[in-house]
Amino acid sequence: MSHNMGKLRSVKKVRTRESLITAAIRVFSRDGFLAARTSEIAEEAGLAHGTVFLHFPTQETLTATVIEECGLRIAARIHELAERGAGVREVLDAHLRGIGEFEAFYARLAIEGPLLPARARNSILGIHSALSFHMGEASERDQKAGIIRPIPMYFLFNTWIGLVHYYLANRELFSPGGSVIGRRGAELIENFMNMIGSGGSKEEAE
Amino acid sequence: MTGMRLCVACGMPMKTAADFAMGDTEKDYCVHCARTDGSMQSYGEKAASLAAFLVMTQGLDGGAALEAAKGMMTRLPAWKGVGGIA
Repeated sequence: MSHNMGKLRSVKKVRTRESLITAAIRVFSRDGFLAARTSEIAEEAGLAHGTVFLHFPTQETLTATVIEECGLRIAARIHELAERGAGVREVLDAHLRGIGEFEAFYARLAIEGPLLPARARNSILGIHSALSFHMGEASERDQKAGIIRPIPMYFLFNTWIGLVHYYLANRELFSPGGSVIGRRGAELIENFMNMIGSGGSKEEAE
Repeated sequence: MTGMRLCVACGMPMKTAADFAMGDTEKDYCVHCARTDGSMQSYGEKAASLAAFLVMTQGLDGGAALEAAKGMMTRLPAWKGVGGIA
């Protein structure tokens, strides 16, 4: 009897923690990490404010945990979507699809990332590493095949990330009220591939 | 997300047998975290190789990359509680 009650309490604890994390993802996506309040997260989860601190001793711990868990999900999606042996174009598509599933949350990471504590910044590096791993392999293959220009791997990566983050940070200008990746993603990939393609510019090709 | 297994030493999802150390799906670490004899790299070896990866693919400064690598590793099962370079 007491064993079953203990098990029930444990299941309830896990569910409450999951509810808080899900609510925090919604609040962070809407308000940002730095402006969000734990009281709003509790309200979003339909729980008492004090419950937040039974699971997370500080707001910083909650923020870092949520970024870490969501970061792992995003990185795993990028790995899932990026096929081994794919070219740069396919990897960029996998990246956009992976972060696109978490667009509002990821956009906050792009905007506020450098201002967040080290643990959160490391989670962002983890997401980036999922992309840079596949992009590194793909760019090496595409360069050998003469599909893209010889560009240092890190520069290719940073140029793409800079471009994507700029569009995400200004998503209300590029796609008001909607998904900027959904609306502009294909265009970003197409133009980026044209820029790095070994054929060079249109004038050079002609 | 599907039930892909994650490497305990670097967090990389392991999709196919080729992703596992020595192609052995019984192992809980990936091909990138294995030494040539199949054993798992030490904390120091992994921190150095992860830092080198960050420098090569993302252009980080070497010192910043090593700090970031150690920070990322603290969250991974293989290195929980490991405080410094072994």
